[in-house]
Amino acid sequence: MRKSIWNRLPLAFLCLCVTLAARPMAQTAEPLHRRVDKLIAAKAAGKPFAAPATDAEFLRRAYLDFSGVIPTAEQARAFLADKSPDKRARLIEQLFASPKYAERMAEAFNIQLMERNGANDEWRNYLTESFRANKPWDQLAREIISPDFKDEKLRGAGWFITRRLDKVGQQDTDYPGLTRDIGRLFVGMDLQCCQCHKHLTVKDYKQVDFNGLFFPIQNLKMQAAGGDYKTAWVQEGLVTNKYQFVSVLSSVKGATGPRVPLGVEVEIPTATTKEELWAVPPDPKTRKAGVPKFSPLKELAVRLASADNAPFARNIANRAWWQLMGRGLVEPLDLQHSENPASHPELFDLLAKELTEHKFDLQWLLRELALTQTYARSTVLPTSADQVPEPLFLAAKERPLSAEQLARSFLLAVGEQERVVNGKGWAEGDKPKMLKDFEKAFLAAFANDAKEPELTVNPTLKAALFLRNNDQILWAFQPRPGNLIARIAALKEPAQIADDLFHTILSRPPTTEETATLEKYLAKHAADREKALGHFAWAMLSSMEFFTNH
Amino acid sequence: MNPLCKPWEHATSRRQFLGASAGAMAFGALGGLVSPQAAEAMRKKEKQVLFVWLDGGMSQLESWDPKPNTEFGGPFRTIKTTVPGTHFSELMPQCAKQAHRLCVVRNIATKDNAHSSGVARIQRGDPKNRGVPYPFFGSSIAKLMGPTSSKLPAYVWVKPGSGGFKAEDAGFLGPKYGSLAFGDGKPPEDLLRHASLTAEEDDERNELREVFNRRYAAQRRPAYTEASSYVFDSARELMKRADIFDTTKLPAKELDRYGRTELGQHMLIARNMLEAGVRFVKVGSYGWDTHGDNFNASASLVPKFDRAFASIIEDLAASGLLEHTLVIAMSEFGRTPRINGHVGRDHWPEAWSIAMAGCGLKAGAVVGATNDKGTDVKDKGHDIGAVFHTWFNALGIDPKKTEYNNNGQPLPLAHDEMEAIKEALV
Repeated sequence: MRKSIWNRLPLAFLCLCVTLAARPMAQTAEPLHRRVDKLIAAKAAGKPFAAPATDAEFLRRAYLDFSGVIPTAEQARAFLADKSPDKRARLIEQLFASPKYAERMAEAFNIQLMERNGANDEWRNYLTESFRANKPWDQLAREIISPDFKDEKLRGAGWFITRRLDKVGQQDTDYPGLTRDIGRLFVGMDLQCCQCHKHLTVKDYKQVDFNGLFFPIQNLKMQAAGGDYKTAWVQEGLVTNKYQFVSVLSSVKGATGPRVPLGVEVEIPTATTKEELWAVPPDPKTRKAGVPKFSPLKELAVRLASADNAPFARNIANRAWWQLMGRGLVEPLDLQHSENPASHPELFDLLAKELTEHKFDLQWLLRELALTQTYARSTVLPTSADQVPEPLFLAAKERPLSAEQLARSFLLAVGEQERVVNGKGWAEGDKPKMLKDFEKAFLAAFANDAKEPELTVNPTLKAALFLRNNDQILWAFQPRPGNLIARIAALKEPAQIADDLFHTILSRPPTTEETATLEKYLAKHAADREKALGHFAWAMLSSMEFFTNH
Repeated sequence: MNPLCKPWEHATSRRQFLGASAGAMAFGALGGLVSPQAAEAMRKKEKQVLFVWLDGGMSQLESWDPKPNTEFGGPFRTIKTTVPGTHFSELMPQCAKQAHRLCVVRNIATKDNAHSSGVARIQRGDPKNRGVPYPFFGSSIAKLMGPTSSKLPAYVWVKPGSGGFKAEDAGFLGPKYGSLAFGDGKPPEDLLRHASLTAEEDDERNELREVFNRRYAAQRRPAYTEASSYVFDSARELMKRADIFDTTKLPAKELDRYGRTELGQHMLIARNMLEAGVRFVKVGSYGWDTHGDNFNASASLVPKFDRAFASIIEDLAASGLLEHTLVIAMSEFGRTPRINGHVGRDHWPEAWSIAMAGCGLKAGAVVGATNDKGTDVKDKGHDIGAVFHTWFNALGIDPKKTEYNNNGQPLPLAHDEMEAIKEALV
């Protein structure tokens, strides 16, 4: 029996809990966000922090993170004018209470869990409804790993598996790929190398860790849509013996039942009779496969997505932190093991423990993180970049907008939302442009390739060419009733125009220098003012300040 | 952290390297520290690759390794080449005139005789199974050498059919090392300046964007802001040279020389790209799978290749680029000596030829031989792994000392039990 750090941790948590419980209430009642900041400050050891984000920076960041879109110019002006000291906390509350919150979370988790591997409405609705109900993460994970295709409300969760088991071209059904992804995405361990041998560089990862997870996965059979269910689904086969594997390096043989990576193994029942084995026996006449009583996948899901499985809580705590801070406490997100410690081990333990105690309430954790000073720092560095190591979180990290955030924010800023999103305001003879075409174009230009984890989005030549020359982009900068260019073209003073442009596109007022830049530019292009305004707005919308969450 | 470096890191490091060793060449090219002529001369020394892929399998017997008047030789005669004693098929009169610049390996012996697996297997160099898909040669070079100082994309593929950003060649290196494909020789979407913009307007709005970016980037992490600038700079460089990708502007005289065929046209675009500084240009040609009527098909196909290939060799030699450019022409396998019932030749990985030229290779060389009937290689043949070793060596990359790092997993560049073909190397 191997004893890793994971096995020991729950005991450490328990001790800590007992100690805390014995203390006066005032100590334990300190909210998580304060404790987070204290631990970040302790590790910084006196190194200078970036200044707090300006109100405009904070507003834009919070909107993008929890609503998936930049604020409107009106929202920006109102927030900047608000003098009350608690306006940031109120903003967070307001964003969490908005219906857009669930949609944004569904989008963020769709990107993270499906990794640009197609789109599916049922899956998306399932995620949205789950976040709307603030479903605990462990329950959500169980529903995804061991989907219940009978329940119409839960069936959408099954797409995580069925999409990955789909045959693509001449490739075989990708059981190892699905196994790897469950390990990566739900317990933060990329076990791929362990399919054929122990991991060569990670001591904790053994061949049994992959194969214990692989066993119930390779036992799944894809069933086409249109038979028992409207959607494709998977059926489990009968399991009575352990799964055998051999190391290609040492030729050492092994066997395992369904098993949580680095964790417990599920015992296979010693059933023999037909009644013991089958809930619904196979029917030789109709050739219909039976339903075994023992479901390895379900047994695995229950043990994996559980408070007793420390890596499960650590994985989601790390991913929640990554989502708001741009960098995990453990990096890479899917290589958690005892020799790859967190940048802030105490903080990491605290987040995992608190999340477990709060019954995997993700919204609670995200709200606490959003209230930290760490989240609310500026991205402007306090000193030169080499003095600000990223893992210390001394400054907020810049994060590129996702393709979806960009498409929505772009349409909002150029004032074409009403026409493109709501289909209103098209002139006679116009060929209406559809939201789905914009989304498709932005995804093609900005999203990572299918099956590439979208943890960092690197600027690409494709995206640069798209912004420079694409028809749909340039269409948006022609004046049209109600849009940005038509609106600012009607304004007289450069200062008014600058004020509108900067609040609309960058959610902040212009600086004197920026107003002067505009004034000079307009003076030079007085003969073709509308076109010049279009170019100016384009330059703002294709600048880093726009396509970065800063 | 992803241990693989990013394309712009290559750019930066190369810039630093050149800055230290050659008087800030890259900055010079922008800032005027060295003359454009000097910059151009320096760029010409950067190694480049032309990779011509004849998909389906060119018949070695109707091209590089004819066996006239033998049981399987077919109806065509041979002709003398510029290398005494070396003969090519009569279908290749132009290549015969370039033979003194070529290096033909006639004893290629590979394993896969199916297109579906062979195409990828050969272009990946068929290393031992490592559980991850290996990159095609173009992606390898994009990763190992990056773009040249021209800032043009490292890996461009001129091909019939669809174009765009093709990630599949990159294997485990990741999509950013994929190719920029010119489908039907045409530039990918959004590459050309939008019709509504004049060059002046476009420059001006981009200057504005750069003003905004400079303000934003002050005191922010340079790694992030530099990466964003880099892709916009590349886009600009690519757009500036859009004329060379425009097939409607190819001069008639050159088109006649390269042949007014798809392959001829694409080869001419490839030449322009190499001259402009693209690191790796792949030219694809389809339809070489002559199971039926091999001889009429070859009589039609081979001369098209002959003109285009001989012309580009001639031009690269004349401009001095050949000295620094590795040129390769090959398929996934050769064709059977035995002629089938449909007067065709089938797949034959056992004994076939690859033609190469340029950088690091012996000129006018014929390496290895097949037996009299062409049914097998004489002595020991060379598998594709050895060919990859040869290419890396020709480009000055030692595949025995350099390796990929795939998320911590060290992987050899080429089959680690094979060696370069020494007779082919200078």
